Amino acid sequence: MNPNYNITQAELERIEGYINKTMTFEEASAFEENLKNDPDLKNRLEDIRIMLLGIESQALKEKLEEFHAELPENKTQTKESSKVKYLNFKKVIAIAAMVVISLGGYWFFTKETNANLYAKYYSPDPGLPTTMSTSDNFTFYDAMVNYKRKDYNLAISKWEPLLAKKPENDTLNYFIGSAYLAKGKEGLAIPYLQKVTKLEVETFKNEAYYYIGLAYLKTENIELAKQNLNLSTFNNSKEILNELNK
Amino acid sequence: MQKIESQLNTETESTQIIELIKINDEGVLKTLYHSNFHKIEAFILKNSGTKEQAKDIFQEAFIAVWKNVKTNKFQAQTNHSINGYLYTISKNKWMDYLRSKHHKKTVVTSKLNHFEISDKNALDKDDDILKENRLQGVMEAFKSLGLPCKNLLTKFYFEKKSMNIIAKELQLDPASARNKKYRCMKKLRELALKDN
Repeated sequence: MNPNYNITQAELERIEGYINKTMTFEEASAFEENLKNDPDLKNRLEDIRIMLLGIESQALKEKLEEFHAELPENKTQTKESSKVKYLNFKKVIAIAAMVVISLGGYWFFTKETNANLYAKYYSPDPGLPTTMSTSDNFTFYDAMVNYKRKDYNLAISKWEPLLAKKPENDTLNYFIGSAYLAKGKEGLAIPYLQKVTKLEVETFKNEAYYYIGLAYLKTENIELAKQNLNLSTFNNSKEILNELNK
Repeated sequence: MQKIESQLNTETESTQIIELIKINDEGVLKTLYHSNFHKIEAFILKNSGTKEQAKDIFQEAFIAVWKNVKTNKFQAQTNHSINGYLYTISKNKWMDYLRSKHHKKTVVTSKLNHFEISDKNALDKDDDILKENRLQGVMEAFKSLGLPCKNLLTKFYFEKKSMNIIAKELQLDPASARNKKYRCMKKLRELALKDN
């Protein structure tokens, strides 16, 4: 690390924008052009890269201590892990979340409040895998990266113009709805998700009904929540329905 | 626009896992830790290690795997392969440790190779060693950074929260939050330089 220079705030943010790929395509090209002519910038980029990796590595290291303290007992773990392999990934997370929550003492309540039920079952859709490709869907996947980083406003602001061009697109409707829901704006999320259920394409229907059900659950519209959950085939939907009918 | 993978198959799942590891998704990292630790602990215990050593080696391997995922050095084909990868790295690290303990001399001579300047590989290795040293310096500095800075930087760089959300959490306006982050980075850099 070279101690002989100071980085300004604007410069730091620009370099970070480049590393974290939050720049527009034009900004990134301009940055790469600068890199070619400015060896100093290249050093600074390397410096910042190492700093970011160092921060993340140390933060992870400290996280690992927490994970270690929460290790389940050896015997039950080996039994479980062979089963876990065959479950799908979303379920593994859902199960992990449920185990943590139930250990948290929720067992003491015979009937949970709807808000608790929502908190117990809701986790945002993990989004689609993003690959750095030159496809014309660049903006879509670019926004997907923002979505996964929980920057929902930014993701919505990139997806909305695409939806204006293709209002009948199920993927866009679904993820804009998911983003609003993740932001805690159920009222805004529901119309987008309902749109998904009315389209011909089946891909996201099951998920859409599930999340509409959850959104209604959160807004205390129990009848509508039940109706929508009934239309989704996820195990979680059935579990919530059971809880609601207790 | 159709959903790219209309069916969930193991390949999609592992790409998703990889993406989630890259953004430090806590649930995924924890699952990865919990579902692999005991297997590796058993291996190390069987091969004359202690519980404490098992933990250290596993955590070192875990961070190495995470780093390789982040820098795209590792690309998983199936869910199984990331677990296998973690196991292999842990195993190798433990074997290295056993070897270094019993054959200290070989390690020293192999280190000497790095001073042969004519060798291109050795130069690359030197560069790697320098980078690794700087990385360790930053990690040490981050460990001893004041708590307010540490929290802010963790939220932004590790948890990947947006600056606007962090600003709200800290009850600051976004511009001052960004400035605070900048000052924390400066502080961290000074600390890292001092340590070196």
